[in-house]
Amino acid sequence: MSDKGEVDLTGAKQNTGVWLVKVPKYLSQQWTKATGRGEVGKLRICKNQGKAEVVSFTLNEELTTVDTIGEKSSMVRAPREHPFTLQTVGGQTLAVFTENSSDKIALEGLVVQRAECRPAVSENYMKLKKLQIEELSKPMRFSQQLDKAVTTNYKPVANHAYNLDYERKKKEEGKRARADKQQVLDMLFSAFEKHQYYNIKDLVDITKQPVIYLKEILRDIGIYNVKGTHKNTWELKPEYRHYQNEEKSD
Amino acid sequence: MQIGSSSSSATEYVVRVPKNTSKKYNIMAFNAGDKVSCSTWTQARMERDMSNRRIYGEEETPDGAAGSEFGKKQREEARRKKYGIVTKEFKVEDQPWILKVNGKAGRRFKGLKKGGVTENASYYIFTQCADGAFEAFPVHSWYNFTPQAKHRTLTAEEAEEEWGRRNKVVNHFSIMLQRRLRQQEQGEEEEEEGEKGGKKKKKKGGRGGDLRIHDLEDDLEMSSDESDGSNGDDDEAKSKAKQDKGPKGKGKKKKKKKGSDLEGFEDSDDGDFEGLEVDYMSDESSSEEEEPEKPKPSKGEDVPKGIDEMSESEEESEEENKNEEDGKEEEEEEDGKKTPVQVEKKKKKDSSGESDSSEDSDIEGEAASALFMKKRTPPKRGGVRGSAGSSRTGSRPGTPSIDSAATSNTLRAAANKLEQGKRQTTVPSSETPATKRLKMEPSPQSSSGKSTPQPVSGKSTPSSSDVLLTEDAVRRYLIRKPMTTKDLLKKFQTKRTGLSSEQTVNVLAQILKRLNPERKNINDKMHFYLTE
Repeated sequence: MSDKGEVDLTGAKQNTGVWLVKVPKYLSQQWTKATGRGEVGKLRICKNQGKAEVVSFTLNEELTTVDTIGEKSSMVRAPREHPFTLQTVGGQTLAVFTENSSDKIALEGLVVQRAECRPAVSENYMKLKKLQIEELSKPMRFSQQLDKAVTTNYKPVANHAYNLDYERKKKEEGKRARADKQQVLDMLFSAFEKHQYYNIKDLVDITKQPVIYLKEILRDIGIYNVKGTHKNTWELKPEYRHYQNEEKSD
Repeated sequence: MQIGSSSSSATEYVVRVPKNTSKKYNIMAFNAGDKVSCSTWTQARMERDMSNRRIYGEEETPDGAAGSEFGKKQREEARRKKYGIVTKEFKVEDQPWILKVNGKAGRRFKGLKKGGVTENASYYIFTQCADGAFEAFPVHSWYNFTPQAKHRTLTAEEAEEEWGRRNKVVNHFSIMLQRRLRQQEQGEEEEEEGEKGGKKKKKKGGRGGDLRIHDLEDDLEMSSDESDGSNGDDDEAKSKAKQDKGPKGKGKKKKKKKGSDLEGFEDSDDGDFEGLEVDYMSDESSSEEEEPEKPKPSKGEDVPKGIDEMSESEEESEEENKNEEDGKEEEEEEDGKKTPVQVEKKKKKDSSGESDSSEDSDIEGEAASALFMKKRTPPKRGGVRGSAGSSRTGSRPGTPSIDSAATSNTLRAAANKLEQGKRQTTVPSSETPATKRLKMEPSPQSSSGKSTPQPVSGKSTPSSSDVLLTEDAVRRYLIRKPMTTKDLLKKFQTKRTGLSSEQTVNVLAQILKRLNPERKNINDKMHFYLTE
């Protein structure tokens, strides 16, 4: 996508002015509950000689209900009146850019006014705050006394599940039988096609051969290296490998 | 809904918070001082800076096929868990932005995400819509954009260097200029050498304009300071000159180095030589940065001869040319003088070189001791040399170009080298007596061997590339300026004189004994000089 990084500069060109407003957390939570078109309240701007002087936001009635845990919703209500504290942008140039879901970037505009949304202090607000503090002050972890002692964890004599597994395995495999050398070689080669280095245990797993027998075969066709890493691994001898090219020689 | 008020007008706007925006709003913050005006942007590109990805990528061992291990990934995981190593995820979201404005020639910015923006309060962007209502969008993240420098900057090491020299360097423009020059050279060869070369260039170039009376100026720190200071304004103009002079300065420096090497086989105390990459055996000096062991003076002296060019390697003439360019008085003067002398000396060398090796072995110990700055008994064999010189060897066009470096190297090495060269031998009978007399440590020879007629001097017409190592020549050098043994050796290159380096050393030692020059310790090195 050639224009993936391309920034849409229409906002900057139009010099669209936006306001950057800092909004308290509870208020933004209330706003997320908005229904319909998303109307959350009303903004009243009193201008004096063209400049916005007094700005106040009024929260819609239906959004004042606060969802709290363990409290009745009607107990605490969010305050409705929120005067805005206006601040200048200062020397900073604050631009707003948006990112699309398809990763397109567009410049929406420049911030012309900064404001802080403050709740008008009221009983309601105080209660709300109290609630918040209580919630936050609860520790994340807590100790709880149990009524009954836990008796479900036995100390097993032997690991039952493990035991079963073990016996099952023994039954199934018995001692690993030595298969035909050629067959084993085939298995090994196909394994080494996938990976270059193998642990002996893994090879035993793959080939299901007894270790000694397998080691003998490996000594023929492979080399054991202490690759510098912890585990010692087997790999095929150079004459047997053809990793970049065609198939291996045998 | 309009509500009129007395003096100020108050209007109410509906505030909407759209629910289903696919667009994420972010803040792009610029510093006040950067004077960024978005309206001037004609075009902009912005992408995530993925340069940190490899840190999180871990070392990727090949997956499958060659080089991979069975179950490697799982084992690595288990190992990490066991040790409690928690690796942070590489989140694309948190990566910085790279913003390029107005294309290639425009500005570049890097935008770093500011943390903690949405933790306790949310920022909203209030935009006024067409219907007068406000729409509020939550700000997803905040990026602080800083402009990136497009001009060349010094690296940390370079900056530290320059800082150390801040009191000395007057002209600051040259700092970046030199760095750029340095980088150009680096393109040609190894970085290490290039930097050294560049550094030296700068250093030496500074002295380029000064009249060089003394080789030692190369090594004295003071001179570099002075020249740097004095060059102040002229630096830029001289930068070119500096480069030219650079190799010359180096040549001189090398000469010094060789001298010191030979003088006592002691470690060079001169810290300036540390890190110098000196290739004693190199025949070619392919670029200025490599350290060809070609002493400038010897080159310089070859120039006027002309005949010498045949036997010389290219670089030598190169260096000569450079020497010429600079037009150092001293050099040329020396050259002029040396021309006849050198020839003589070469002749002498040749002849003595051709003499028995027994001579060598005999005199070896003497020479060695002589060169090791012990008090020399006046050598009384000047005259002998003269006669010996009469037997001139033919030209040796095929002589391999053996650097004078070879001579200044260990005696053995040099001797070997020379032995490889051709030595036309026309050992005259007159030589034998000369040789014998040499062995005998002749005392009857007066110490005014200096004044002993040197028939060889008559033979100032050299055959091609012959230079004689005569007492006269040595005396001439020493009168003009103090020289170390190394310097002297450089004057008498083995391939010129036809002597092996050992022989050269021996003969020179004898001459010095005869001349009994005065000594002076300059810059920790023993120099000889004569006052006539």
